[in-house]
Amino acid sequence: MTPGSTSAACAALFRRDLTLAWRRRGDIAMPVLYAVIVTTLFPFALGPEAALLARISGGVVLVTVLLAILLALDSLFRSDIDDGSLEQLMLAPQPLALLLGVKILAHWLTAAAPLIVVAPVLASMLRMPANVIPALIAALVLATPLLSLLGAVLVALTAGTRRSGMLLALMLLPLCVPVVIFAAGAVAAAQEGLPWVAPIAWLGAALALALVLAPMACAAALRIAMDA
Amino acid sequence: MANWVPLWLHKLGSPPIFYRFAGVVRPWALALAILAALAALYGGLVLAPADYQQGDAYRIIFIHVPSAWMSLFIYGAMAVAAFVGLVWRIKIAEVVAMESAPIGAAFTFITLVTGSLWGKPMWGTWWTWDARLTSELVLLFLYLGVIGLYHSFEDRRQGARAASFLALIGIVNVPIVHFSVNWWNTLHQGSTVRILGPSHIEMSMLWPLLTMMLATKLYYIASLFARVRADLIATESGKDWVRAIALAENGDRP
Repeated sequence: MTPGSTSAACAALFRRDLTLAWRRRGDIAMPVLYAVIVTTLFPFALGPEAALLARISGGVVLVTVLLAILLALDSLFRSDIDDGSLEQLMLAPQPLALLLGVKILAHWLTAAAPLIVVAPVLASMLRMPANVIPALIAALVLATPLLSLLGAVLVALTAGTRRSGMLLALMLLPLCVPVVIFAAGAVAAAQEGLPWVAPIAWLGAALALALVLAPMACAAALRIAMDA
Repeated sequence: MANWVPLWLHKLGSPPIFYRFAGVVRPWALALAILAALAALYGGLVLAPADYQQGDAYRIIFIHVPSAWMSLFIYGAMAVAAFVGLVWRIKIAEVVAMESAPIGAAFTFITLVTGSLWGKPMWGTWWTWDARLTSELVLLFLYLGVIGLYHSFEDRRQGARAASFLALIGIVNVPIVHFSVNWWNTLHQGSTVRILGPSHIEMSMLWPLLTMMLATKLYYIASLFARVRADLIATESGKDWVRAIALAENGDRP
């Protein structure tokens, strides 16, 4: 890799984001902790009856993971805006969409990947049958990057504003409805012993589309929001 | 080749000319909207016969269906204006897109409320997680997101551009949401009025419906123009043409 080439810039940015995340390890643990707390509250609210918990386990885990990702999304560009490195990124000769794609990948690895690891534990706490867990993991592996990509576009749009967590939730809700439907559809089908590949395939198709389009939309949104 | 049409459209992009044009059109649109709405209500509530199955309860259709059409129509109009504003940086298009959003949100809200009033006697429930109802609710959230994003920026033009971009994301999203919730659950009746092919509706019920549709369209124009005029006066308050209008209305007092 020659210095200054696009691949070198992407690698450097990836290493920088992972290093920054590692230096603030406590922040990585926060979404996981949040998911554990929310999931723990459900049995207290609904009662410890195993059949009921098993029925709702898939939906509860999916919605909890979604909320945890929403919580983590705010930090995607926050520190880079505060110290001005986002402007440098936008001025860089490399394509902004590609650099943002790398940033989203690093953010997904630090914020969403731990959630996928902890999700089977949470699901088991809610008495999800063991044969459904593979469907849950497959749904999460495809749904979480999709949510990170869609959320990144919206975070970029709000980059120039004051802190606006509620606004982000309001804007993300219409975008995440199809994701939740298909992810929960796969888990529900697996729970009823039906084939669950079709909704997973839809999620995969949506992810392929978002992988190409979302970084470009994110770059366009960032140029609009930071254009002061 | 008649080139006065592009020339006229080009001139309409200028705030003072649009302000005057909107001021002339608005009272006519509002008056025609009220007339058409009164005619449609008379036709729908008095002249049209009761439904063989739903009795008189079906008459809420004359509010519900035109509002539902408008909720989608205004989203389309907003997205077109947002696209024009983003691509050609036309200030009027940005203002039109942003001032369309609250009107569209109001029509969406009316659709949800009347639909819920209609659902209680017909389906026996105020709300059900049916595909069309859910899509309409998601549409309301899209509108609210656009409005919220527009107002969260200090600079109005920057806010308008960011919210325009969100409106364009939304227009890609609406068919996806509709398809996915359809796949998920459906109870709502299919469309009765079709543009292509025969409608499943009696003529005496169809004409009030179409007249009400015309009335809501005209009301949208009147309301939009009033809002755009107010917005233009506020954003252009430092310009000479606003000062001229203010002086003309206030006499010579500064």
